[in-house]
Amino acid sequence: MRSLNPACKFIALIIVTIVLAGRRDPVWNTAAFVLSMVLILASGVRPKTVLLLLLPVALAALGMFFTGYRFTAESAMPVRSDAFLSGDSHLLNGVTQASRVLAYAGLGYLFALTTDRIHMVRSFHRQFHLPQVFAYGLLAAWGVFPHMAMEYRKTKAAFRARGIHVFPLSPSLLAPLLVKSVRWSDELSVAMESKGFSAAAKRSDYAPVKVHLRDWLFLIACCVILPLASILTGN
Amino acid sequence: MEKKAWELKDVIMMAILGVVFAAVYMAVFQGGLAISTALTPFGLANFGFEIIYGVWFMAATLAAYIIRKPGIALITEMLASAVELLMGNSGGLTVVLTGFIQGLGAEIVFAAFRYRKWNMLSMSLAGILSAAFIFCYELYYLNYITLAPGLLAGQLIVRFISATVFSGIICKLAGDGLARTGVVRNYAIGAGTNAGRIYDEEE
Repeated sequence: MRSLNPACKFIALIIVTIVLAGRRDPVWNTAAFVLSMVLILASGVRPKTVLLLLLPVALAALGMFFTGYRFTAESAMPVRSDAFLSGDSHLLNGVTQASRVLAYAGLGYLFALTTDRIHMVRSFHRQFHLPQVFAYGLLAAWGVFPHMAMEYRKTKAAFRARGIHVFPLSPSLLAPLLVKSVRWSDELSVAMESKGFSAAAKRSDYAPVKVHLRDWLFLIACCVILPLASILTGN
Repeated sequence: MEKKAWELKDVIMMAILGVVFAAVYMAVFQGGLAISTALTPFGLANFGFEIIYGVWFMAATLAAYIIRKPGIALITEMLASAVELLMGNSGGLTVVLTGFIQGLGAEIVFAAFRYRKWNMLSMSLAGILSAAFIFCYELYYLNYITLAPGLLAGQLIVRFISATVFSGIICKLAGDGLARTGVVRNYAIGAGTNAGRIYDEEE
């Protein structure tokens, strides 16, 4: 999965997500989740990392199960829930809701954990024709992120040194961060322009991101074969 | 009114705000999850996220309030969602699509005011329309259509209140606070503001 072109991988997995959204089928949802986990682990991601990421997802899925179970739409409403389900039980609705959370999260993490961030933006720029001002703007802003994290920790430490306890999203912590961020954005834009960056100027890439045969095969599998299989299996 | 074309500094500002708010979203998600888990046995887990849903509209309204040009709300929300994707997000890949839908809601309201009204009302309405748009999408994407209409109405009301509080009230106060510091004097919000000046440690 790591060697796939990020733009192609993104489109392919989006299509898979949309197919799952249309099916409302817990078996397909669970299959997508399990397959995502297998591919993530096969890509060399540590099992501990995956488990830590899945903990909040499991809680959210449990929450959706109880919501779906207890608040299934009744037949009196304009849209009957059983029109959207392969069965007619509250339990099945709960399982469908919960498996959907797992499937979406699995596909999301499959993309995030097997894709290099910089490579992704460069690929979007090249394959989706994302305007370079956004591509480089996004990369520049992403580069500032470690400074933001450092600034946040410094402000928190400063409060702690004064014996003041602040909660993680306190305005006392976020206000200085916001002021700093605006400063960084000004400095970044001046720096980029002073280095000759122009939104209109044509640029060349030292390592162009290309689409290979394997990317096409993955696209065909996800964007043609899977939707066809979904239609043929009658949902 | 000032010139409408985007400059590089506008795009960088949108991207940086996108990064800031993507980080806030991730942190807030954990808080929402805690409330949601507590409400799980009652089948009301969704309300854990509804209470804080307005946070997801803040990037669009704050950026639009500061820069005040057409398209800012839409693009900022999309950039924030792209950063969320970069960070790894449990909501799935369609986060970019949700960014577009939410940003579109806010953009329509600011366009309806012809990008001239920048107050708590326009910002609250921007958040509320974003909330309404994304709710319609979730009826399909999250299968909400199979849930009881009473529950959905309750969720929508809480989401509207959250949107008003976070993207209307808090973003307005945050934007005004930034204007007072003088750091946004190069943007439309800072024009004509009698601002102070905060010195950086490097200065």
